[in-house]
This record gives sequence, C-alpha cells and structure tokens, in this order.
Amino acid sequence: MQFSDDVIYTVDVAEGEGILAAALAQDVPVLHQCQSGSCGSCVCHLAAGKVEMRKDMSASLLKSEQDAGMRLACISQAFSDSVLDFDYDSKMGEKGPINVTVFIDSIDWLSDDVIRLNVELADGQWFDFKPGQFAQIQVPGTNQVRRYSMSSSPEDLPKIEFLIRILPEGLMSDYIRDTAKVDDALEIEGAFGSFFLRDISAREPHIMIAGGTGLAPIMSMLDAIRKKNGIKPSILLSFGCLNSSSLFHVDELELRTDWMPTLKTRISLNQGEAENNIIIGNPLQALQPSDVTAEDTVAYLCGPPGMISAAHSMLEGFGLKPENIHAEQFVASE
Amino acid sequence: MNEQKATRRRQAKGTSEFRQNDKKTQSQYQPYKDAEWGFINHWYPALFSEELAEDQVEGIQICGVQIVLRRVDGRIHALKDQCIHRGVRLSAKPMCFNKETISCWYHGFTYNLESGNLDTIVGNPDDKVIGTVGLTTYPVEEVGGMIFVFVRDDDFPDEDVPPLAHDLPVRFPEKSEEFPHPLWPAAPSILDDNIVARGIHRTGEANWRIACENGFDNAHILVHKDNTIVQAYNWTLPLGIRPVSDDCITSFEEEGAPKGMMQWLFSDRWEPVLENKQLGVKIEGANSRFYRTSVVLPGVLLVENWPEEHIAQYEWYVPITDDTYEYWEVLLKVCPTDKEKEAFNYRYDRVFEPLCIRGFNDCDLYAREAMQDFYGDGSGWESEVLVDTDISPIMWRKLASKHNRGIAKQPAGVQGNVKASSIRLKNLAAGKAPGYLVDKIDD
Repeated sequence: MQFSDDVIYTVDVAEGEGILAAALAQDVPVLHQCQSGSCGSCVCHLAAGKVEMRKDMSASLLKSEQDAGMRLACISQAFSDSVLDFDYDSKMGEKGPINVTVFIDSIDWLSDDVIRLNVELADGQWFDFKPGQFAQIQVPGTNQVRRYSMSSSPEDLPKIEFLIRILPEGLMSDYIRDTAKVDDALEIEGAFGSFFLRDISAREPHIMIAGGTGLAPIMSMLDAIRKKNGIKPSILLSFGCLNSSSLFHVDELELRTDWMPTLKTRISLNQGEAENNIIIGNPLQALQPSDVTAEDTVAYLCGPPGMISAAHSMLEGFGLKPENIHAEQFVASE
Repeated sequence: MNEQKATRRRQAKGTSEFRQNDKKTQSQYQPYKDAEWGFINHWYPALFSEELAEDQVEGIQICGVQIVLRRVDGRIHALKDQCIHRGVRLSAKPMCFNKETISCWYHGFTYNLESGNLDTIVGNPDDKVIGTVGLTTYPVEEVGGMIFVFVRDDDFPDEDVPPLAHDLPVRFPEKSEEFPHPLWPAAPSILDDNIVARGIHRTGEANWRIACENGFDNAHILVHKDNTIVQAYNWTLPLGIRPVSDDCITSFEEEGAPKGMMQWLFSDRWEPVLENKQLGVKIEGANSRFYRTSVVLPGVLLVENWPEEHIAQYEWYVPITDDTYEYWEVLLKVCPTDKEKEAFNYRYDRVFEPLCIRGFNDCDLYAREAMQDFYGDGSGWESEVLVDTDISPIMWRKLASKHNRGIAKQPAGVQGNVKASSIRLKNLAAGKAPGYLVDKIDD
C-alpha cells in the first residue's frame, strides 16, 4: 500500500480476507468509514497485481472507475501480490475519527428542499477535518446515523455548517424539518472521506462541478482556499440544480466571487427558463473544452452518480489527467 | 461518548456574537471586517531613512508582526523580531558580531541577515538545531528617504512578492488622461526622480480601518472648519462634499497595478456644501483650495494639490495591533535643484509641519480615537447608520475585501496581544504609552 508521501506499507492478507480489515489490523492508516462498500472513503487505485471487489456486495464505484483500476479496499480481496495506491498523505488516516457533541445555532430553509444547519462544537471539544470531508450525524432518539459533508471550512471551527437535502420522508429529514430547534444537541462522528482538497496552496487551475447539495463539500473547499492568504488559483465552479425552486446559494456564490476575483461561477437549472445568467441544462453542459487551459488542471466533482460518471469522461476528454480528478458521489440521506 | 455532559460554549468575546450576525447579513465586506489586524502580504512604510543610520538596529511591529531592521553597508535587512528559541525581540538589545548576522542578546542564537537561517549559537556552536531553522525575512525597498518592508506570512513565497509600486498611490501625469485634474498640476509621486519626502509618523489609538476611512471620508472636513491654516489662508473649505453622480468614484482594479479608488472631488460629480441655512452656518472663505483624494491597498491615501500646488500628501495607517496604528503623514515635492530643496524644507519646517501635519491632521487623530470605542468591540460595523456621503468608505471596504493579499491573523506571542499585560501596565505607570518602536533595554 503506497501513500502519496511515498510511505509504503506491506500488508499480509489471508485468502478471503478483506483488504481494509487486514490493513487496519496491521495499523495501516487507510481512511475508512462504512466498511461496506458505500461511503467510498477507502478508495484506492490498483497499480499492480490482482485485486477484485466481492461480487456479493454492492460497491458505490462506477463501472468506469473499476475499469480504470479503482477499488474499495473494504470489500476487496487480493488474488496475487498487488500494489494499491492511496492518493493522500499517510498521516491523513493516523488520527481516527472522533465523536463530539454539537449544538444547533440555526436552521434555515435555503430552497424548497435544502436546509442550512449551523451548529457549534460543545465547550472544550474539538474536531479536525479537511475541506470536502463528511461527518455522521446521529438522528436524535435513534441509533441511526446519516452522512453530511461540512460546507463550512476548518477555519470556521468551532462553528460547523451542513447543507441538508430534505426528502418528503426520511428519518433525518423528518427530524430536521419537524423537530429540530436551536440549542438542541446532536452527536456527530468524523471526519470521514477521501474526497478533500488535496493542496490548499495549489496554483493549478481548478474546475469544480457540483449538483444540488453536492455543493456542500465544494463550499468548504472554496472558503478554505479563499481564507488562505496569498495568490489564489483560478477556479471555475459549475453548479446545477433541478429548477428555480430547488436552486439555492446564488447569493453565497456571488459573495465568494466578490471576495475572490479568481473565482468564476456558472449556474444551471435542468428545467425552467434562462434568466439572470442562468444556463438551462446540467452543470456539465455549462462547460466547454476551452474552459480547460492547462493540462495540470485539477477537478473536484460532487453530485449524483450519473453526473460524476459523465463528468469523469468529459473532463478526461478535455485533457485532464485522471489522477487530477477527485470525485464524490452524493446520495441524499433520508 | 464523553463522560461529562456536553455544554454550550460560553459566548466569550463580543466579536463571536457579531460574527454570526455578519453571516446572516451576508455582508459584502466581511473580509474587511475580519481584518482587525490589517492586511498582510503588502508593502508598508517602516521608518524614514534617517531613522536607521549605518549599523543601527530598530524593532517595529506591523500587522502584529514584529520586525527587526539592520542597516549594513547602506543596505537594509529585515527579519522577524522574535527569536525562535524563547521569543525574545532581537532589537531590544542589539548584538551584532559581524556584517552578516544578528545575534540574540539573551542566549546567542545568531541569524544570517540574508537568509534568516540560524547560523550558529554564540555559546553552543555545535548544536544540532543550527542550520535547520530560521526566521522569516522581509523584502525591503528604500526610496525617496523612506524604508518600506513587505510584511508577509511566513509561507509567502519570494517569487510572489509584488513590486512596491503596486502598493503605492497612482502616478501622474501617467494617469492624467484617465483622471484629469484641470484645476491643479500633476501630483508628485514618491517614485519620481528628485523627490523630497518630508513628514512624521506617530502612533494613534484606534483600529487602522477607522483611521484609514477618516482619510477619504468627504463629510469629515467639518472637523477642520476652524483649523489655523484654513483660517489663516482664508480657504473655502466646504462644510461637506456630497456625491451627486453615480460616477463620483472610479475604482481601479487592473492586474499588476495598484488597486483602489479615485474620488472625483471638485468636479461636477461632487457638490460642495457651503451653507446650512437652518443652522445659520456659512463658509465665508474667499480662496479656493481644490484637492482630490484617492486610496489604494493596503490603505494608502493620496491627497493631490495639498496643501499647495506641486505638493501632495501621502498617508498610511499602518496596523500595529488591532487597536493601535502608526499614522504616517508625508508631504512630497519634486525638487531638482538644491535651492528648491532648501526652499521646500524651510517651508515644511516653518509652515507645513506645524500647521498641516500637526495642526490640521491632529483633528483627524482625535476624531479616529473618538470612534474607537464604537468599533473596537466589533459592534460598530453592525450598528453604524450610514448616509449618502458614506459611499466612499463602503466602496473602499468592498474593494479591500476583494483585492487584499491576505488577512493578518491575530498574532501569537507579540506585544499588544495581551492588552493588560504586566509589562504594558508597568510602562504605562512609567508614562510610556504602547507604541510602534521597540522599547530598548537600558544596560
């Protein structure tokens, strides 16, 4: 197992044993969370050998990602001596996730189906995360947890913000919509996920693509870059929602472009009429090959699986290197 | 989970509460409000050239960054003035054994002036730490009798350091076409050949933003109504100047050039108010005194045609801490001959310094102080009630939010961070107010 800081671990994996389980047992700092093939935290790239994911478990990796050599370590088994690449620093996973209590500061409707939840860490508690990572929030009164990306940046701690998509029915949706109130305590665990801003000081142009509340981790990245002093990279964000009643954060994005002249945004709606610079279509259709001006352009994508898959091939077609495309599939938590 | 029951954080400081309000109000100039300790990664004036003689060492503080300056063979070096060992200020008791280094007078940590690296330790020359650590260095420029330093974050790369000209007022006649000035000749610049810069710097007790906004606030000239120089010359200085056109201010934001704004004063875009009938107040002065103000990041004021033709006033409001700033007032004139230089110096010493730099601008100093309590705890930014003349500060706040190169974080381990430290109190008791220059140790 090779990490981006050239730290290499050799792990013995028994026949039929899960690679993640073996790695964790041998103290290899692999990021992980669900251990069941869904969250995508333990994603890695098969550089050599034969590693296959179990056929009897569902994986959140796209076919195209699997074909490109990507594997989820938690549901993978080794069939020969193999080399797996993890595209983050080996120190990332050394500090495991922790449990903390937060208190609700505010609950605001941003659109027909998105709520902004602002919370604050309890007195004396702390929580570290990288921009783009997520936390698990326990639904009060149950033992169920739901995953949400932090939309605020680490600089905003002890304040944390989440963007919550409210579904007509769902455990967390019902709680947030009907029960939650200011000063309520929530138990959260984190941080998780290997979708995070790789280099806060990067100068290479950035392309960011977000669909719906997939904007949350992207907002965290934007604010982290903005708050890092000095010269900023050029950033093109393409953000799309279904229609005008589900659209949110237009004002927040406008503020970001005011504050950070190197940021350009394009906003698209799948349905509706073109007005106020809004593009009709999906956030991928809002991008053209000419938007990629450098071959070392870095991309961060967060949205529904279909969008991610299409974005991958589109950006590669535009000349981006596959290793510079970082993606997280977003599935609304109920 | 946690053994103890989790509790809410106490609302420790007023500011955190207001910060939250800021989020709600979605303020367009939130980054400016966050810049209590100033904008970092910019050029600031440090000292007048004459304040740093050959081999002299001085310590200053800008944006919460302590900086030590030493002149060697005419060249000035600037390093972080905080020994990595135990945090002592090197400038408090200068110790230099050669032309290449400066040593900490306490335990002898010796730093290379060029690189900032720890070259040796006086009484411990074989220690393993030597060569592996060092102090941040700051680029220096000396021009027109002034020393400028580029105050930067520790990780701000050398190759990103912009030219000094990017943090100085716009130049004339280069900009005369873009910003015509039919009523006065082209203003001089500190970068002009044969420039003579005369002035003072002194510490003001207010946040730097309050000071800076005072400089180009067109309603504030009321405080100067009764000033000696105004009365002596019988100037028609208006009671106020109102914006009467949507193009009363032009921002300039081109890449690779100063970022700021020009106010088209004494044009048809601003209306001078000379009388308030209701109050029976009228300006009777007979002599026009045309001037124009512009401001560029990180907070540099240019007053053209002030206080006389062919002279310009520059001002800086250099953040020292979040509640003190170093107020720089500099008059500039191009003097190609010794005779002209002598004449300007004479007039500066006899007229301008006593009547303008001190008499006139003293009012600004106390006006800023008078605002400090309102803004000092962060609440003033929320509760201020602004009127149409305040378009100037609002435009400035937005521009500054957009084009600053970084917001200075609250520093760690520097003077002025702990407001009521025993040292500060002792100095106060001895009659020494918190200031800009290091307190040197008497030995």
